[in-house]
Amino acid sequence: MVVQAPPVLACSGLAKRFGARQAVDGVGFTIAHGETYGLLGPNGAGKTTTISMVCGILARDGGEVLIDGSPLDPGTTSVKAAIGYVPQDLAIYPDLSARENLAFFGRLYGLRGHELRERVDEVLGVIDLVDRAKERTANFSGGMKRRLNIGIGLLNRPRLLILDEPTVGVDPQSRNAILDSVAALSAQGMGILYTTHYMEEAERLCDRVGIIDEGHIIAEGTRRELVALVGGVDKVSLAASGDVATAAGVLRTVDGVREATPHEGGIDILVTEARKHLPALLQAASRDGVVVKSVEVVEPDLEAVFLHLTGKALRD
Amino acid sequence: MRAALVIAGRILRQRLRDRSAIIFAILTPLGLAIAFSSIIPDFTGSFHTTIAVVDNDRGEVSGILVNDVLGGLTGPDGILDVTSLPDAATARQAVVDGDAGAAIVVPAGFTPSVQTGSSAELTILAGGGTISGEVARAIVNDFANAIGTVQLMVATVDVSGGAADAGTVAAAQQAAQAASPVTVQDLTAERRQAGIATFYGASMAIMFVFFATQYGALALLAERQEGTLSRLLAAPIPAGSILLGGALAALALGFISMIVLEGATTAVAGADWGPPLPVLLLIVSAVIAAAGISLFLAGFARTAEDAGSINAIVALVLSAIGGVYIPLSQAPEALARVALITPHAWFLRAIDTLSGPGAGLADIVPSILVLLGMGAVTGGIGLARARRVLVAR
Repeated sequence: MVVQAPPVLACSGLAKRFGARQAVDGVGFTIAHGETYGLLGPNGAGKTTTISMVCGILARDGGEVLIDGSPLDPGTTSVKAAIGYVPQDLAIYPDLSARENLAFFGRLYGLRGHELRERVDEVLGVIDLVDRAKERTANFSGGMKRRLNIGIGLLNRPRLLILDEPTVGVDPQSRNAILDSVAALSAQGMGILYTTHYMEEAERLCDRVGIIDEGHIIAEGTRRELVALVGGVDKVSLAASGDVATAAGVLRTVDGVREATPHEGGIDILVTEARKHLPALLQAASRDGVVVKSVEVVEPDLEAVFLHLTGKALRD
Repeated sequence: MRAALVIAGRILRQRLRDRSAIIFAILTPLGLAIAFSSIIPDFTGSFHTTIAVVDNDRGEVSGILVNDVLGGLTGPDGILDVTSLPDAATARQAVVDGDAGAAIVVPAGFTPSVQTGSSAELTILAGGGTISGEVARAIVNDFANAIGTVQLMVATVDVSGGAADAGTVAAAQQAAQAASPVTVQDLTAERRQAGIATFYGASMAIMFVFFATQYGALALLAERQEGTLSRLLAAPIPAGSILLGGALAALALGFISMIVLEGATTAVAGADWGPPLPVLLLIVSAVIAAAGISLFLAGFARTAEDAGSINAIVALVLSAIGGVYIPLSQAPEALARVALITPHAWFLRAIDTLSGPGAGLADIVPSILVLLGMGAVTGGIGLARARRVLVAR
């Protein structure tokens, strides 16, 4: 008989209300060891509220969280030792050095003495801050602070690493470094819960993605499974200027168009057989003074899936 | 507890590295204490004056005033010296020259007038509004009131045909003995006033300890604003240890502030706070009271900045009421009573008590208990409020 190891995270029925607003309603998913799970949704969809409940920061109104099969209940502390948490906002002390920040949080996770020093040195190496370890973090660049923010989450060698939009406000170089680090950690067997509203990050990193909107998970699966939801629909991106909102309304009446979403700089269109309908699309879009500057026909992606499922763009 | 100590240690490291904490908690109060004790005349020491007496009567009743009433206030523990002068003009000049604080002129025929129930007049020579003049006036008024009783007695004796002279003298002596203890007690109490260096050292310490304790008390609000609170809550530690860590840091910072001030004002300004053990326990109690009040105020604030401002205002107002700027012994009785709502008044009262000869721990137990009570009640409410905020997240 083969005994299957429980997932590193299993949560179900998570619910949280803030006053009259139901921020999260019945959210549930699982993450296996070594799996990276992306929670993809626009700002305000409920991503941060969900992970705050998963790591015990926020009391939940309902639902259950199991870490490696053990329940994470209010007041329990030992289960939290398996979690590494990287909040969206920088959570470091600016008047302490990088080493002092790491040592402080390491002590809270029970590290001490030689073990603490060794682990702090290791993490400083991972986040490439060995040379600046003794410097106050107030003097760090944004990217360095972000790296330290992530490094603190790695101190306790977590089985589940939770990263809440870790690349917000980060320059492209640091962003790439962070994404590479996350991929490497996953390869080492760490379960990762990664929230983002950047579709390309979710596509690059995640084994599975849960699409969350208005407090509900509206779709879940691998990238391939999610894209299949769109069917034979292509995505046409028009870069355009002028009254794109009116143009989008006109485009919705064109044969084959499933959805047309205006945004700053253009219109995203979901349409069957894009190449066949392209002339009609351009003609419809060019009315009322709208100037089409470029056209791009792309394979369906998670952005297209979100558009298909919600009728709105992720960037909304 | 270990997590609380780790958090408290981190707050201490930050605050001691932060120069503003050292400036507000140590350097400013120390500088003010030294400056005040150097610049302001010592109004806190034992009162002593010289009363000149011109005894033109030289009778039995004036002898009681001079020898029993005034004489009872002389000596090593007394508040005055008595000097006899030949006439009112000489006495007036002595007062003008400052050789005497005040003078009492007893007219010729004073004793017979009292004995026969006639009116008699005692004259006080003193500068307007001087303490010596007020003391002389108080002594003479007490004596004159006693004489009034005696005159009634004499009159009664006269009607019954008793021996008036013997009764008058005995009653006047009795009145003098009765009046003296009351006066002497008041002045003895006034002598239980710490020296000026001690007073300003202790008063600045109790005023600024609120600025020291706030750095720990506001820690939770600061963590929330800096974004580190979520990381602390995600760590495998009880939420209560976050609050306890802040409270421990508040106590440690307050204790460091007061101990440094006690040592520095003793070494630099010549202050004498009192016997070490009672002073230590008093300081601990005062720090607990200050930390409690800071935690209480933080528990009702939205941001660390709000809490810091409110804490500063409360510290200054309590200081003003609590006798930090002027000793309560110099204040009206009503204010001295109101001051007892503040930890400052209880702390300074205990410091005054410890300055008295032979005073010890037993003498300041009421102050210590009141301070601990204030700290427990206010700190308990503050921590309960903060915990509710954490749990409700």
